[in-house]
Amino acid sequence: MPPCSAQCGKNAILKRPKTGDTLCKECFFEAFENEIHFTITRAKLFKPGSKVAIAASGGKDSTVLAYVMKLLNEKYDYKLDLVLLSIDEGITGYRDDSLDTVKQNRDDYGMPLKIMSYKDLYGWTMDEIVAEIGRKNNCTFCGVFRRQALDRGAALLNVDYLATGHNADDIAETVLMNILRGDLARLSRCTSIITDSGDGIPRVKPLKYTYEKEIVMYAYFRKLVYFSTECVFAPNAYRGHARVLLKDLEKIDPAVIMNIIQSGESLKINENANMPTLQKCTRCGYVSSQDVCKACE
Amino acid sequence: MCSIGDDNFEELDNLKYMPAKEKPSPFSKCNKCKEEIPIVVLRSKDKYCRKCFLAGATHKFKATLGKHKLIRPNDRVLVIHKCGHPSTALLHFIRSGLDLETHKKLRFEPVVLFIEEFTHLTVTDRSEILKAIEKEVACFNFQVYLTSLAKLITTNSVETELHANFDRLEMDEDDKNVITKFVDQQLNETNKNDFLNITRQKLIVKIAKHLNCKFIFTPEISNDVASQLLTDISLGRGSTVSLNAGFCDSRDETVKILRPLRLFDLKELAFYNHLNSLEPVTYRKRDENPYKSVQQLMKKFVNELQVNYPATVTTILKTGDKLSLGTKPTNKCDFCNAPLEEEGPELTSAESTQFSHWVSTQTPAERRLAPERAFNNPTCDNYCFGCRKFRK
Repeated sequence: MPPCSAQCGKNAILKRPKTGDTLCKECFFEAFENEIHFTITRAKLFKPGSKVAIAASGGKDSTVLAYVMKLLNEKYDYKLDLVLLSIDEGITGYRDDSLDTVKQNRDDYGMPLKIMSYKDLYGWTMDEIVAEIGRKNNCTFCGVFRRQALDRGAALLNVDYLATGHNADDIAETVLMNILRGDLARLSRCTSIITDSGDGIPRVKPLKYTYEKEIVMYAYFRKLVYFSTECVFAPNAYRGHARVLLKDLEKIDPAVIMNIIQSGESLKINENANMPTLQKCTRCGYVSSQDVCKACE
Repeated sequence: MCSIGDDNFEELDNLKYMPAKEKPSPFSKCNKCKEEIPIVVLRSKDKYCRKCFLAGATHKFKATLGKHKLIRPNDRVLVIHKCGHPSTALLHFIRSGLDLETHKKLRFEPVVLFIEEFTHLTVTDRSEILKAIEKEVACFNFQVYLTSLAKLITTNSVETELHANFDRLEMDEDDKNVITKFVDQQLNETNKNDFLNITRQKLIVKIAKHLNCKFIFTPEISNDVASQLLTDISLGRGSTVSLNAGFCDSRDETVKILRPLRLFDLKELAFYNHLNSLEPVTYRKRDENPYKSVQQLMKKFVNELQVNYPATVTTILKTGDKLSLGTKPTNKCDFCNAPLEEEGPELTSAESTQFSHWVSTQTPAERRLAPERAFNNPTCDNYCFGCRKFRK
């Protein structure tokens, strides 16, 4: 490997997909953490003294997010009160195992953990729902349930922010997907680093500019414990096209990921284009794009 | 984490957004006149008889031009010829529009331009193609100018390089090297293509000005425009998507580039030519590896997705139509001439990347001395985000 770009005298162990610089392990940790700190302060993600729930699935993104948030909070004295919030969809062989990982994070990082389960909230686990309705639209239900469960959990914990582990690849993929779907409303808001889900608790994405590859490398070199199994139910077929495309693009030129986010941020919607508006479900009052949300249906 | 459900995403919406392919019944009548037997199926569902199909195609061409009301009578229009079905159909659309005796008659003056760059073929083959093009344009009774990319980039004046006869155009085996050397070898394949595309665009605008044309017609069809839009997004040119993917590229003050075929697909134009007994000039395509550049990958992606989801291309085009340049910016990019975006107070992807590079090149001592506060987002000179990579 070539020498470290930071001229620390060591040899590099990785080439950063985001910039092409080569870094040794120590300098990579520094750069990785500094960048997230830069994102948090430059985009003014949190007010000092607030309470932040980290949406924790046990996967690599949320594990790294929890670890780095704790580290930066102490190092730069953000004065944040951090808690973990997990959703138990009730999927045997997937969520039960990943929740063990989250519990491990809770103990390792000394953060309180709140688990919201579909069973408690809706009276059904995903396993039961799939047994009832089959595999066809199960991901739709699960998605709607999870969104609401996170909102309810955040409200219950009385937090000021909900931080999610969305990374740069996720954002770029969503931009592509919304173009392929012709979904202007979502296209215009999917690159926002802070979004308001409608109930006053803003959702923030501190890893918005962090490459998935670097998250994996960071977790690996820091020896963080995470859960890497995909959901046992149908993987999201719809995102599939955008995901495959993005992976192919990244192989050609990894800078494409940041380019797509840049494009998404600078797109301007024509003023006379018709845009659908978000409304509230007439039954449960949570945000929905239709009169009655999919959960109530 | 599973991303379903983020941003109020509902999977059932998909049916509304991306309908899958339908199977047309072979026993029905023409969609339009409901009488004749259909001969062509478009968009995998709409069936037309010969008469309705041809009338529909002509109408679509004229409606695309008419809707924007940009061209005035006697305006000169530079028509770019690129070989193949779209170019031939474009010439036929124009010729039949000019020859009409009704009030729908087209009233502009076309001049055809062909820029030769088939450097993967032998000089003899290239010469044959030029000859065929000259003949084709003559059949439509238009004036033609032939030139070559290698010559255009090596000379500064376009006047001396425009020829009316194919045998006046000098071609060389070395043309390929001339073009290769013109582009910065440090750039990757994608950025080389990007550089050449912008260069071509600037050259045709220059030629249009020289020939006193206010408008340029390019033969891009729907698939080309859709993959161009996705390419632009992937190169960070999101703020100017409407110039490259819309009907009109208005970045130049005096010459506008128009895309009159942007709502047609290849099958439609191939049938149009076939039914009008037109044989386009053909040539052997360059072998391209779709995984080598973003431009090639996007073409492959769009064409393949279109097979199973026939609404793909139209959806992408409609998305593009709803994007605009925003408020009128004052400055233009020094390279591509597109309006420069004004930098707002928000953190952007560009700034984040600059910070990442900065923080990756700070020595451990510098890091200790000056934390992230020392970082200043370097203000860029007159280059748009997409063209910064060309800055020397």
